[in-house]
This record gives sequence, structure tokens and C-alpha cells, in this order.
Amino acid sequence: MAIVRGRVFGRVVAPLILLVAAAFFILPLFAMMRFALQNVQVIDLRWSNLFDKWSLAPLWSAFSDDQFGRALTLSLKLAFGTGLISLLLLVPTIVWVHLRLPRARSTVEFLTILPYVIPAIGMVAGIMVIKPHARWFLNSDLSLIPFYVVLALPFTFRSIDSGLKALDLRTLVEASRSLGYGWMRTIVHVIVPNLRTAILSCLFLTVAVVLGEYTIADVLLKRTFPAFMGEYRGSDPKGGYGLAILSLVVTTLIFMIIGLVSRPKSARRRRARGTT
Amino acid sequence: MTSLEFSSIRKCFGPTVALADFDLTIAPGEFISLLGPSGCGKTTALRIAAGFERADAGTVSLGGHELSPIPAHKRNMGMVFQSYSLFPNLDVRKNVAFGLKTRRLESSVIARRVDEMLEIVQLSGLGDRFPHQLSGGQQQRVALARALAVRPEVLLLDEPLSALDARVRSTLRDEIKRIQRDTGVTTLFVTHDQDEALAMSDRVGVMSEGRLEQVGSPHEVYQSPASPFVARFVGSINEIPSEQGTILVRPEALTIHENVLHGKWIGTVVASTFQGPSTLIDVRLDALDLLVRVHAPTGTYDGVAGSRVSISMVGDHLLAV
Amino acid sequence: MPFLAFLVLFLIVPAISVFSQALRGANGEFGFASMGEAFSGQNLDAFWFSITFSAGAAAVGTILGTLLAYVAASITRPRWLRNAVTAFSGVAANMGGLPLAFAFLSLLGRQGLGTKLLNGVGIDLYAGDFGLGEVTGLITVYSYFNIPLMVLVILPAIDGLKPAWREACSSLGGNSSTYWRRVGLPVLAPSILGGFILLFANSFSAYATAAQLTDNSKIVPLRIGFFLGGDVSVGEDAVGYALAAWMIVIMAVAMILYWALRRRAERWQS
Repeated sequence: MAIVRGRVFGRVVAPLILLVAAAFFILPLFAMMRFALQNVQVIDLRWSNLFDKWSLAPLWSAFSDDQFGRALTLSLKLAFGTGLISLLLLVPTIVWVHLRLPRARSTVEFLTILPYVIPAIGMVAGIMVIKPHARWFLNSDLSLIPFYVVLALPFTFRSIDSGLKALDLRTLVEASRSLGYGWMRTIVHVIVPNLRTAILSCLFLTVAVVLGEYTIADVLLKRTFPAFMGEYRGSDPKGGYGLAILSLVVTTLIFMIIGLVSRPKSARRRRARGTT
Repeated sequence: MTSLEFSSIRKCFGPTVALADFDLTIAPGEFISLLGPSGCGKTTALRIAAGFERADAGTVSLGGHELSPIPAHKRNMGMVFQSYSLFPNLDVRKNVAFGLKTRRLESSVIARRVDEMLEIVQLSGLGDRFPHQLSGGQQQRVALARALAVRPEVLLLDEPLSALDARVRSTLRDEIKRIQRDTGVTTLFVTHDQDEALAMSDRVGVMSEGRLEQVGSPHEVYQSPASPFVARFVGSINEIPSEQGTILVRPEALTIHENVLHGKWIGTVVASTFQGPSTLIDVRLDALDLLVRVHAPTGTYDGVAGSRVSISMVGDHLLAV
Repeated sequence: MPFLAFLVLFLIVPAISVFSQALRGANGEFGFASMGEAFSGQNLDAFWFSITFSAGAAAVGTILGTLLAYVAASITRPRWLRNAVTAFSGVAANMGGLPLAFAFLSLLGRQGLGTKLLNGVGIDLYAGDFGLGEVTGLITVYSYFNIPLMVLVILPAIDGLKPAWREACSSLGGNSSTYWRRVGLPVLAPSILGGFILLFANSFSAYATAAQLTDNSKIVPLRIGFFLGGDVSVGEDAVGYALAAWMIVIMAVAMILYWALRRRAERWQS
């Protein structure tokens, strides 16, 4: 299986660690899936009836709940909006910082850590204060978007920043501008195509954040998908858990796809190092 | 001063044969370069000597003692890498002292040895600097000092000058040679730059695709190449068809005449490249439609494009294929 | 720049309003009374508990995460495995409170699958102090997102360990432990500490997960939730805001430390 640089320690201990880690991370998910899809109480569970009464019924009934479609659509809209605004904000800003203010880079990175300083519960507290004053704004469902943009900032910034770091930005921009492109066209036609992977991972990160964010949506009484899941669990635990599993699986798959898409680049780099 | 001997070494990486029938004996105190293009196996041979790779077959011996059972950290060989090998968290003094501290020498002894080493590489004032505060050339000097501090039996250098810019490279080249002569340590130097190999070594081993094509003094390798590969790789070559097959002739073995009467081959000057002490003149030969490069010391001939000239050979050709 | 404006509006403003509320007394006057109250008595106990608890969770996550990252970084075959680890870490690190709590409840809760399996082998999980709502259980659950977060943070640093260092150390006579002791760990130290701080902040401020598993009012975010929740008398919510304000202060200190460490680490990376 996995080999760690040929050392004897690596042959035994490393796979073992991976196995234990895999178990730790996959078993809870598996247990949740089993609960959702198998109609047997844990108390009655035996080796004999391990494969009985599995059905996707709880999932179907969750899907058919009338709130399901609405909640899912809202969350997807929010995810899309958050992703878009994140990109629109981040790409020009980071490009600008890379080119004009390299020393400010660490300061900007610090700013993006701020969401950690003011965690969800803090933001909730803050929002509750503002609530009476900004009712017109907070009434719209889409008002969650700015907050989500901020929440996703640590991750989205990282991906765009490392994507830009891998490019020889200055040369690209100078070449493009010397050929007659203005700033806007440079960004759109030269920089963005080279950032494809970073942009993709940024978008999927926002999807992950939006699909996982519960606290703020709950406080603002928006019926996003996670909020829906929470409520649904109250009435039908199996369905609720099943939905949770589904969203996790989907998100993981998406991330793996990103990983696959960006792999060719690193493999190429590895091969180039080679031997003499 | 110890000898280093490779005996029938063979090493494969998967389907690729990196080294085959590699035999080389380095005499005590000798400076040998392994020269060849990327992928020829020279670095592999070095790493096998250091203990970072294991040979599939054959043995490496240090002063007669076989090295295979001995792990890398017990082999007492100094090694200088291509770049980035200084420990970033330690300053220059601590870097140089690293091997000495591992051997648990007394701190006064260590301090003295570090001073001595820094003096040898001419970096005495920079002991307190950190690697990221040093230039490429300075870093490699520290790396050299660090490797020599432990008084190794053999010094291994893996393309140490390749990552440096031209001017630094030539200065450092002379220094390494001087230090090696002063300390007398047996040295194995790997490079793809023939100028380095020719300038620094007592003997040069030219390699291609895992095999040693020739081992000899720089003069031998340059003037009596054992194979077409060596002839082509070390220095430049003209390949001219003749009755004996294709003969390989060096540019400086040809003379150019400003008329079409004296020389063996007649042609037209196509281009000339001025190099300072000499000029390289490219001539297209009439009969053979071949581009030939001739080396002319400055002042003998200027090489105006379009002029009709003739070329003759001085002495014998290198090789006939 | 629009970016800054955005940040100010949606992050700083809520933060400031928290502080403004915290600095008002029970009758709406300006004063530090609430802040003081929020930092004494039961509240102080809560802060102390949360800090030590979060440090513990962070320590577990740091050690296990670094270990896992090292293993992941050294994987040479099969090649997709390392990508899988990174991809999953990205998801797991963001794991929302609800699904995570659900998952562990179904595995290790009193009616959990794992609990039952262990019973079958003779191990009673709940014999001692264990409980998902107790410290041990919470730390286990928190590790689910802490370990991947640590992996994501430290993997680039581990990649940055140049093989030449390892080999140079070897050629100078040092073995594995010499290398790690004198070069490897010192170089990784800023990143490891930085990761620890990040995990600390993450654990301290986790709300949703904790809310599902326990009603322990010693966990500060939960406490804030209680104070700001539905049936609390008018004056008391000022304490809630004060608690939030103090939490922000603690987080800010942690983040500044983190940032300083990151800058140091970057210096050695390039």
C-alpha cells in the first residue's frame, strides 16, 4: 500500500496511522448513514439482520417535503452569490496587492483571518444589535451573502492568493499591457484563465461554507438548506441525517474533483525535477 | 587521504537503467569529475557513494573497506549539494559546527575549527549571519566549510556551481580547486559543465546513459576522445565526410586562408562570432554543403560574410567514424 | 478599496456594535460595569474552563494533525492517496456543527453503532466519565475538524522541508533523531505553534457543534447564546454582549500571535 520513503518504520507505522485516521473519519459518517437508511433500531441490531431493511425511503420523503426544494434553491443561490462576490472582491484586490504593495500582503492576510476573531457567535451578537436598525436590509434572504463572504474569507483568500503566487504575475501583466490591453481586459482575459483551478476551488469552498453554516441563518430566520436540515431532523431524524450525509458526500466529491483537476500541474513539476 | 573505488555498480530505477558496469577508482587526494548530460547517471553514482541510494549490484569501497553495510550517516564523507542545503534555522557558525557537534567535540575545539574553516573559505566576518541573508555564492562557501569541517575522508560535490551566476561561478571554481589542493581531500565532483570539469580536475570521467565512456586527464579527454560521444560532448566538433568515413575535427585544428588556393576545402563565409581573444567563423563548404566552424585567433582573419575562403587541417583528425 | 469597505461594513460594524452594547450598563448608560461583570464570578469560571478546554482540544488536534500530515506528505505510492487526504481535510475542517454532532451521536452516542459494537466485545464506553457532552467526548468530536485543519495548515510547511537538509544532516553524521531535533522540528516550530493557535481559536468559538451535544454553560459561546437567547430579562443581555466582547478580545490576541508566527515561518520557507 502506501510506502514512506522506504524506511522500515514507514512500511508498518505509516499505513497503520492512515488506517486509524481513515477509521476515525469515516466511521461516524458511516454510522450516520446507517441510522438514516436502515430501518432497524440499534438495540435490535444483530449480525444477522445487518443487511435488512435498508432503503432510501427516508431520503425520498425528505426530498418530497415542500420546504426541501425551496431551502436547497436558496442555499444554492446564496452559494453562487457568495462565490461570485468573493471572486469579484478578491481577484482585483489580491492582484493589486501582489503588484503594487507586496509588503502589505501579510497585513491583508491578517485581515482575512479576522473572521476567526469574530466567530459566528460573535457576528450573531453583533447582528442582533443591528437588527432593529437595518430591518429593510436584513429582510431579504440574500442579505446572508455578505456575511457568508466574510465567513469564507480565510479560505477563499488562501486559494486565490496561492493561485496568483504560482503565476509570474508581474511579467504577465506587463506583457499584456504592453500589447495594448487595459486593466479590465487584462484581468478578464489574461489573469483569470490562468487562475482556473484557484477560482474553481474558491467557488467550491464557498459552497462548502454555505452548506455548512447554520448559526447566522438560524438567528436571521432564513430558511437555508442547513437550517432546513436542522428543522427536519426534529420531525424525521432519519431523513435529516440522511440529508446531512448526502450533502457531505457531495461536498467531498467536489473537493476530490478539484484535487484531480489540479494534479497534472504538480505531477509535471515532480517529473521535471528528476535525476541527473 | 583515502581512495574511493566503485566496482561493477549497477542501478536501475524501475525500467530505467541509471548505471551499468560502472567501474572507477579514485586515488587518494585525487580530484575527479564526472561529466555528462542530464540523466547520464553521474549524480546517481555520487549518491550511491554517499549512501543515499543503494546499488542493485556491485560494491563501493573506501580505502579498501566495503561501504554497502554502512549507513549514510556513518560514512564520514563531506557533501556539498547544488543549493538550499544550509540549515535555515542556524546561523553560519552553527551550520559549520553541525557535524562537529554531532561528533561531540569540545566546544573550544569546535570554535577553533569553525574559525579555521571560515578563514579557508574567506567568510570570516559573517559567522553570525543566517542563510537567507547570504548570497548564493556565500551560501555555497558555507556549505563547503561545513562539509570540510569534519575532516572527511572523501568530499562529494553535486553540481555545486550550477545554480550560481557566471562570474561567481568562475571565482568559486578556482577557490574550490585551491582548497582541495591545500587540504588534499579525495574529491568526486559531478557537473554537466565541461569548462568546470576541464579546469578543475586531475581526471575526468565522461558519462553517457549510465556508462563511463572515458576516464582520463583533461588533456586526454579533450585531445584523444575515446568515442564520438566524448568528442562531441567535450568541446565543439566539426563532422566532415572524407575517404576515411566521417572525421571529427575541432575548430582550432582548422586554419582558414583568405583565398581558395591553399586549403583542402573551399567555401563561403556565412557568419562570424567575435569572442574577444578569438573569433569563430562559420563557413559553408561548396562540395559538401556543410557548415564548418573554424577558430581563428583575433588578428589573423576577420571573417567578412560572403568572402570566398579555403580551409586546411592542422595535424591529424580526432576520430573517424 | 471596495474590499476594505466591505470588510468594515460586515465584519467590523457588528463587532463594534457588540462592544458598544457591552459598554452600556443595565440602564443604557455608558460604563464598564458589564465588562467587569462578564469577567468575574461564574463568568470567569466559564472563561477559564473554555480556555483550558480549547487548549486541550487544540493540543490533541495539533499533535495528531502534525503526525497525520507528516505521513500524508511522505506518501509516494499510490499517488492519489495524498490528494484524497487533502480533499477530505478541506471538507472535514469546515464541517458544520449539526452534521458532525449527528454523526458522532450515531456512532458513539448511548444508542450508537460503535457503542453497541464495543459492548459486544466487552468494552462499556459509558462505564467511566465518557459522554459526548463531557470534555473527553467533546474533544473527540472537535478533533474531527481540528485535525484536518492542522493538516491543511502544516502540510505546506512539511513540503517546504528540503530533502537536501535531511541528506546534509546525514552526511555530517546525524541520524533521524538528530535531524528532527536540530533542524526539522525547529523549522516547523512556527507553523506548528501557529496551527495550535488556530485550532485554539477554532475550538474556543465553536458553537453549533457544542450546542447539539451539551448544554454546558461553561462553554463561552454557549453561555453567550443563553444570555442573548429568548427568555432573558432586559438588563441581562448586556452581560451577554460583554461576554462576546471579551471573547473577541481573546480571539484577537490569539490571532495576532498567529499572524506573527506565520510571518516568521514564511521567512524560512522561501
